[in-house]
Amino acid sequence: MAILELEHLNFHYRTLRGAVRAVDDISFEVEKGHTLAIVGESGCGKTSTAAAILRLLPKNVARYDGIVRLDGKNVMELSDEEFRKTVRWQGISMVFQGAMNALNPTARVGKQVAEPLQIHFDAEKEEAMARASESLRSVGLPEYVERSYPHELSGGMKQRVVIAMALILRPGLVILDEPTSALDVMTQTNIINLLKRLKKEEELSYIFITHDLALASELADEVGIMYAGQIREIGPSEYVYPSPKHPYTKALLKSVPILRSSESPISIPGVPPDLIESPFACRFHPRCSVSFEECGWSAQEFADILERLRASGEDGGVRWGEAEVEDDLTLVLKPEDGMDPVTYRKALEEAFHEQEESTRAFKAVTKVEVRDGGVAVTLHEATTPYMIGEAHRAACLLLRKGGEKDG
Amino acid sequence: MAAPPALGIVATLKDAFRTVPGIVGGGMLVALLAMVVIVPIYAPFDVVSTWGDVSAWVDNPRLAGPEWSDIFVPGTLPRTITIQPEDFRKTKVVSETFGITTIVLRSTFDFSADYFPGELTFRLFTTFKDITPLVSVQLERPDGETVELLRTTPENQAPTANSYPFSQTITVPETLRNIRAWATSNFNATDVAFPKPEVTLFAEGGEDMLDPHRARLMRGEYGIRVIAVAFDSEDNIDGRFLVFGRVFGLAGTDHLRRDLLTGILWGAPVALAFGTVAALIVILTQTVFGAISGWYGGRTDEAVQRASDFFLIIPILPILILISIFYRPSIWAILFVVVAFSLVGGTSKVIRSIVLQVKQEQYVESATSYGASKIRILFKHIFPRVMPYTFALIALAVPAYIFLEASLAFLGLGDPVLPTWGSLLGTAYNNNAMFNGFWWWIALPSAGIIFATVAFALLGYSFDKVLNPRLREQ
Repeated sequence: MAILELEHLNFHYRTLRGAVRAVDDISFEVEKGHTLAIVGESGCGKTSTAAAILRLLPKNVARYDGIVRLDGKNVMELSDEEFRKTVRWQGISMVFQGAMNALNPTARVGKQVAEPLQIHFDAEKEEAMARASESLRSVGLPEYVERSYPHELSGGMKQRVVIAMALILRPGLVILDEPTSALDVMTQTNIINLLKRLKKEEELSYIFITHDLALASELADEVGIMYAGQIREIGPSEYVYPSPKHPYTKALLKSVPILRSSESPISIPGVPPDLIESPFACRFHPRCSVSFEECGWSAQEFADILERLRASGEDGGVRWGEAEVEDDLTLVLKPEDGMDPVTYRKALEEAFHEQEESTRAFKAVTKVEVRDGGVAVTLHEATTPYMIGEAHRAACLLLRKGGEKDG
Repeated sequence: MAAPPALGIVATLKDAFRTVPGIVGGGMLVALLAMVVIVPIYAPFDVVSTWGDVSAWVDNPRLAGPEWSDIFVPGTLPRTITIQPEDFRKTKVVSETFGITTIVLRSTFDFSADYFPGELTFRLFTTFKDITPLVSVQLERPDGETVELLRTTPENQAPTANSYPFSQTITVPETLRNIRAWATSNFNATDVAFPKPEVTLFAEGGEDMLDPHRARLMRGEYGIRVIAVAFDSEDNIDGRFLVFGRVFGLAGTDHLRRDLLTGILWGAPVALAFGTVAALIVILTQTVFGAISGWYGGRTDEAVQRASDFFLIIPILPILILISIFYRPSIWAILFVVVAFSLVGGTSKVIRSIVLQVKQEQYVESATSYGASKIRILFKHIFPRVMPYTFALIALAVPAYIFLEASLAFLGLGDPVLPTWGSLLGTAYNNNAMFNGFWWWIALPSAGIIFATVAFALLGYSFDKVLNPRLREQ
């Protein structure tokens, strides 16, 4: 059973230039006792996803909707106060990026670890402190830490403190936001081993946010690859790591340096896209090494191509008819000579298929259907991942139409 | 990151008192507190009511400098010599025949200073039945001369004193006549327009003895003799003779003979109390409002900031002057007005800017995420971070309020009954202390103000040194 389900979660920031679509229509679920690793480049919306789940909203929210189901209950319907009291830390807790800053420098560690207990259960101070020191010991910290100030501890110790704090209310789900990003490799391994142990002992579920694919492979049962505010590929790690499907995942895996290997890592050309004016349809296509003309078409561009083909008489015997752009991805074609729409639809479909090789834009067509005495053509936007195998989903036009392709 | 250094209040205080300005400022503060402790020992009376009571200070010399002004002149300046009633040797002879009683009081004193005394006063306490006794007061000089200062019939019954001052400014006219006649006839002295009894009486006999500028001092043993002829055997007289010095105490006296040391010592608790209480209340309320403003943002922020702007442009001094003119408020009423006009202000802006910085920090977001309410985060997580700054601001604000109080008092608009440093200066100014060279009257209260403000400024500076990372390096 899934402990957390997201359906079409949107979380956009408002800026002067326009809305930043940091979390754009994301859906996934986390199984109880499983770890979902969310991997992606900096600024792709990983942390915003975590913030959206915990409803840690800044002032400049432009859009925040969708469904967040925790243990089957949609927590988006709760009021802020209910959410604070029932979901935060009791249902979902979070280990923040950069533990050194996640602790109040002016308060002793024990007091801070105990604070959630006092907030949620009105615990007596002594009882709370006892629970806090128990929690601190369970993450392998010596007793004196409780009485120390954060600046007296090392980075690794602080990270353990933050983990202890996240676990104090025994939540079912812990979001780990780059929990090891500022630590050295040895300490990283230590923390990862601690997280593994705690997961087994406390039957925790994790959402592990990282940019480090190798680290994610250590802990993850499932991996979600995020790019430009969207999940591009998600699936069990035993599928995704050995046989990545999405070109972005492949590129990402190739960019990881391998120890004692003569192969040098390959970086992805270009920069991550702007989340305000992101590329149309598949947001990765401008940087994608396998993308052809079929990626990133909009309805308008598609209509222009049809117009050009018609003008040059290369329409393969089918009169395209007048194209009417309905929205970004849909256009409606009217048969010219009173043809029956059903026949027209069939003829169009065949024409698109036949000319796929010469006019790659036709590959982007996902749906051709009869509508209002015409035929509606829908292009693939390649944003929502679809099943490509058992529990393995990816959002790529090429995978859908032409099967797997190597870049 | 330009985040404030990670320090609590205790750690900040410890660090601050380790810097040089911290040590010096702290030491000065301790000295000020010592002054507060000394007041009840030095002036074990109700200073507030005594200060305005002229009769309480009559035995002090008028406008005397501090005793240590000896170091500025060659020789020794005269101290006040007081011959108390019990110092007089009293002889009482009752004549059986007429019922006439003769009482003789006599005492001697040694005059060894290098300058003439300030003035002389004789106070006579008499008890008589029906007829006032006839009293003669005579001064015996080391050269064997005796001058009758006064022959009078006292009107006041003891314990009320009959007071007879002998000085240039106020004197019994008869005394001046006696002295003139004595000096011209016995020593052939040249008469001048304005002789000084206190000079001529203590001058070597000669032509110049009436001229205050040329008379030469005669040291030695002087005597004072009082002869009273009374008309009842129960009648009695007692006397107190004062040879006022030119110096008094550690801080001298003012025009009403008040001991300035009492005023200066008393000024310390007044200045400290006013300065610290005003600074504490004002800075703390401004801190709270500033923190609320920065933390909640939006309309709250706007309201607090506009109110701050409003209070910042209101000129507080003219308003205080107006209020003072109309109501003559006590110092605590002035304090109330100051606080009322500074609930928000510059500090709210400073604290707001720090809170805006602190609120972006991860631990605040972390606190939100574990379900801490906004108000809890404000008081548990944000306040401890701004408190060290608040301390520095309080320390730096204290001098400003000490100055404010002093300015009002100087203008004569402060508390009408309390002696404060400002009111001492105001009185000095109104009595032309500057032109008359009564330097102690100006210098010492000013020193008090400077001392207190520098102490707090140094403390504030030491906090700044600890809290401002750029200064910390040096």
